[in-house]
Amino acid sequence: MDTNIILQLENLVKYYGSGENLVRAVDHTSLEVERGRFTAIVGRSGSGKSTLLHLIGGLDRPDEGRVLIDGTDIFALKDERLAQFRRKKIGFVFQDYNLIASLNVWENLVLPLGLDNRRVDVAEVNAILQKIGLEDKKNAMPNVLSGGQKQRTAIARALVSKPAIILADEPTGNLDSQTEMEVMSLLKNCVQEFGQTLVMITHDETIAQMADRIIEIEDGKVV
Amino acid sequence: MKMTTRVAFDNMKYHRSKNILIGIAIMLTTFLLYVVPSVGKGMIDTQNAAVNKAYPTWHAMYRDVDADTAQKLVLHHDIEQSGLMVHVGEMMLGKATVSLMYLDESAAGLYRVMPERGRLPEAEDEIVVSQGILEALGQQADIGDTVRVPYQVYRDGGLDYGQEKEFRVCGFLADSDLSREQKVYTAFVSKPFAKMEIPQEQLTYRILARVNGNNGVMTTAFEEQINNIAHQFGIDEKQIRINDDYLWANYIDPSTVPMIAGLMLIIMAAGIITIYSIYYVSINQRVQEFGRLKAIGATKRQLRQIVLREGLWVAAIAIPAGLLLGTAAVKIVLLNLGNFATGVSVYLTVLRQVIADGEVPTVYPWAYVLAVAIALCSVYLSLLKPMRTLSGVSEVEAMRYRGGAKKAKAWRKGFTELNIWRLTMRNLADNKRKSAVTIASMAITGVLLMVVATVLSCASPKLCADNTILGAYELSPIVEQNNREHPEREWGKIQQDNPLNETLKAQLEHLDGVQRVDVFSELHVRTDVMEEDWNYLNGVPEEYAQELERDIIRGAVTYEELKSGDKVIVDSILTCWYPELDVGAKVKLTIQDGDRMFEKEVEIAAVGNYRMGLSNYAFIYMAKEAVDALSDYNSSRYFHVIADEKYEPALARTLEELVLDSGNLELRTWQQQYAYWKNNMAVVGCACYVFLGILAACSVMNLINTMINSVHVRRKELGMLQAIGMSDRQLGKMLRLEALFYTFGTLAVSVGLGSLLGYPVFLYAKAEKMLEITTYRYPFAAAVIVSVTLFAVQEILTLALVKSVRKDTLIERVRFRE
Repeated sequence: MDTNIILQLENLVKYYGSGENLVRAVDHTSLEVERGRFTAIVGRSGSGKSTLLHLIGGLDRPDEGRVLIDGTDIFALKDERLAQFRRKKIGFVFQDYNLIASLNVWENLVLPLGLDNRRVDVAEVNAILQKIGLEDKKNAMPNVLSGGQKQRTAIARALVSKPAIILADEPTGNLDSQTEMEVMSLLKNCVQEFGQTLVMITHDETIAQMADRIIEIEDGKVV
Repeated sequence: MKMTTRVAFDNMKYHRSKNILIGIAIMLTTFLLYVVPSVGKGMIDTQNAAVNKAYPTWHAMYRDVDADTAQKLVLHHDIEQSGLMVHVGEMMLGKATVSLMYLDESAAGLYRVMPERGRLPEAEDEIVVSQGILEALGQQADIGDTVRVPYQVYRDGGLDYGQEKEFRVCGFLADSDLSREQKVYTAFVSKPFAKMEIPQEQLTYRILARVNGNNGVMTTAFEEQINNIAHQFGIDEKQIRINDDYLWANYIDPSTVPMIAGLMLIIMAAGIITIYSIYYVSINQRVQEFGRLKAIGATKRQLRQIVLREGLWVAAIAIPAGLLLGTAAVKIVLLNLGNFATGVSVYLTVLRQVIADGEVPTVYPWAYVLAVAIALCSVYLSLLKPMRTLSGVSEVEAMRYRGGAKKAKAWRKGFTELNIWRLTMRNLADNKRKSAVTIASMAITGVLLMVVATVLSCASPKLCADNTILGAYELSPIVEQNNREHPEREWGKIQQDNPLNETLKAQLEHLDGVQRVDVFSELHVRTDVMEEDWNYLNGVPEEYAQELERDIIRGAVTYEELKSGDKVIVDSILTCWYPELDVGAKVKLTIQDGDRMFEKEVEIAAVGNYRMGLSNYAFIYMAKEAVDALSDYNSSRYFHVIADEKYEPALARTLEELVLDSGNLELRTWQQQYAYWKNNMAVVGCACYVFLGILAACSVMNLINTMINSVHVRRKELGMLQAIGMSDRQLGKMLRLEALFYTFGTLAVSVGLGSLLGYPVFLYAKAEKMLEITTYRYPFAAAVIVSVTLFAVQEILTLALVKSVRKDTLIERVRFRE
């Protein structure tokens, strides 16, 4: 296997419903993503791109096929091991940020480390906060942050645990166009600076253009 | 269906899990609301039916009334019916006690003792006997036959010398099982016989009277009337006996109603707190839901109606279920009422018969109405606050509602590093009020449970037995006053030839299993204020010096000082009867020692509250040494045998034989006392714990709701945590820690506060001599049971919750929108 391939999908299948209501969300999809690259998955609403991302992240299990991250077949892992794998190797950025309301910015950032029983490298976390421009907001609660700030916090959270791959699900979907560009440049810069692999799904072609590679999905298949 | 009713119905279905919990709480509340008054009324009715069948129907008995007063008294306008009786004497029979009584027809009627065959005696030599009496006499006879009866008559204030006389049997009385078992009977003689035997000036009557009154009159009113009549005729209060059981059975005791009402209030409060807090905990979600309704045009009134009707829909299902369960429970309890008490008595036999014949109802229609009304009232009251909150929030506010009036914090200093423990603390700190409401409502029941458990624990049958008897066995001479046939049983005479001597003591001390014998001395004594009432000077041995000093409630004196014989401690009971006998008073005691009487002045140095075992009704305490010094004879009144075991069959048998052989000793055992209290306490304890257990079940609904709710509203957040790598095990740990917080919080308050409050309640019970309580004993068992139950509920709940969270796939949870 090519050691430069970080993510490999093999004949992935995920159907919902049955009979007339059968939805082929992911239909025999195979693809490979190289380490350190920014890949955008684009497709219209209902094309199956979100399902694909969830399968890559191990949030959902496929009907058939395999997902290999850094050479590990993630669905061969039991739930407990999969959760551990996820917190070590995968970082998530969601459309609606999904910050924990009862934790301040700093705590949200270090949460994945805490779950993994890892020590916090304070200098490193401060560096990330500085990078995302929220060093003066580390004690702020999520409810006082703007949408852009929330998403930047979410990006920082994904970076902090130094995962093998970052999965972003429409990260700018809830943002106005100016903030959208800010967040996207931040995301791209960070990925480059920290040498991360980013897989992002979006329905916005303009955003997708910022990626190194664009994969288009239609009816659950790579076009 | 009206729109509001429809929406309320749909809401009920939508918030199924919460409404099931509220339903269970309403059901349990209704259950108790029905069971408590029904069982209360059922028990009273059953007892009353039995009392009416078994007990005499007179209201009051005036004793020692001379012929003149008797004639006038029966004509009093407040007396509805009266009868005369004279206690003429006793038959002299070895193994049975037979009283000779004269009763006129009315008295026999009021006493329910009409002969089952024949008639009441009229001629001087006529007698009514029973089969049991004939057996005790060792003679056979039928109506018209003669029997020879040895007897003693009450003359000159006591039983006179024995006589014998031939009587003609004119009637037969029925024997009860109890009188056969105890060999205690009554034979009827005629008025001419009484007049012939007792000198005119000594002949006193007992008047049985029913006073005027209607059903529904309070028993206290009757008592007042009875006392008034006595007062008008100059009859001393001590000569009045009131037929409490009968009065209580037929008229209203003012203390019953408040007691049942009090219990109902507790149940209602528990119901309201539970239902309210279940709503309170989930009000967050509901405010947003109602905000949307308001946004599309629902009026305030409609919103209030929706909240109320949702509650009523749940009640409509839960109340009938509670009533159904309650009906079954009431039937079971009432039909088994006769089995709770053990022992033989006329009353219990009749009670069981009354139950078996189905004479008393087990279903009370009014109790259904009452339970439904109070249950609905509880639901309404508990919904008042949610109704106000949910209908009062504005549309915009509703969408942003974050619970309570609290503004979300903008900044907070946080932890540098996080772990599951800190994450849990953060979440709990964010929901302080919610946590407090849950803990408070659960703890109320816990506190109540601990307080009741404290009382029951202090009143353990073992402790009660310990309080009523010292050591394992108590030997005392048979003491009887004023029996001419047995003058040797007068205490003064016994002192001169006391069977409790050094030989017996040494004999007892040598028995296997006996550690020592504690000897209490007594002297017959009275003071001026006590008039003709005699009591005993209680000579307490040194072994009990500490207890004597410890239980002083007023004043101060040491055991050493009591040795002088110039100072005494008076029991609080005596002070209650004679308030003059209080600390500081100098009283002149008239002491009887053997046949000699002498006076001695003593100072009351203290008033104490002592257990029955120590006092044995001798309420003036001195050191044994001092009492012995006052006496020329052997004043040992009790031998308390302290043994290795409280009950050892071989030793008990030896002592029983010893007592039987002596013919002049009596034996009381710890085991008898223990059996008596155990039986009594089992019924009381069982009823208390069942009642509290159901209340506790109500409050457990609360914990379940809080936990389910905290998981439900955080479904997305929990999904999120899992998406970024929280494992199932970590999720379980977090939920368990949260539940542990509630458990510990509830335990700290219920066990902590409950234990603290238990102590003053114990002090009250002790002062009131309730259930023979004297020693504080911490209710460890209850504390452990409450703790274990809470931990078990919490653990089961956590497991169920983790399972329910995992039922949804991770992705469903991450996407979850309220």
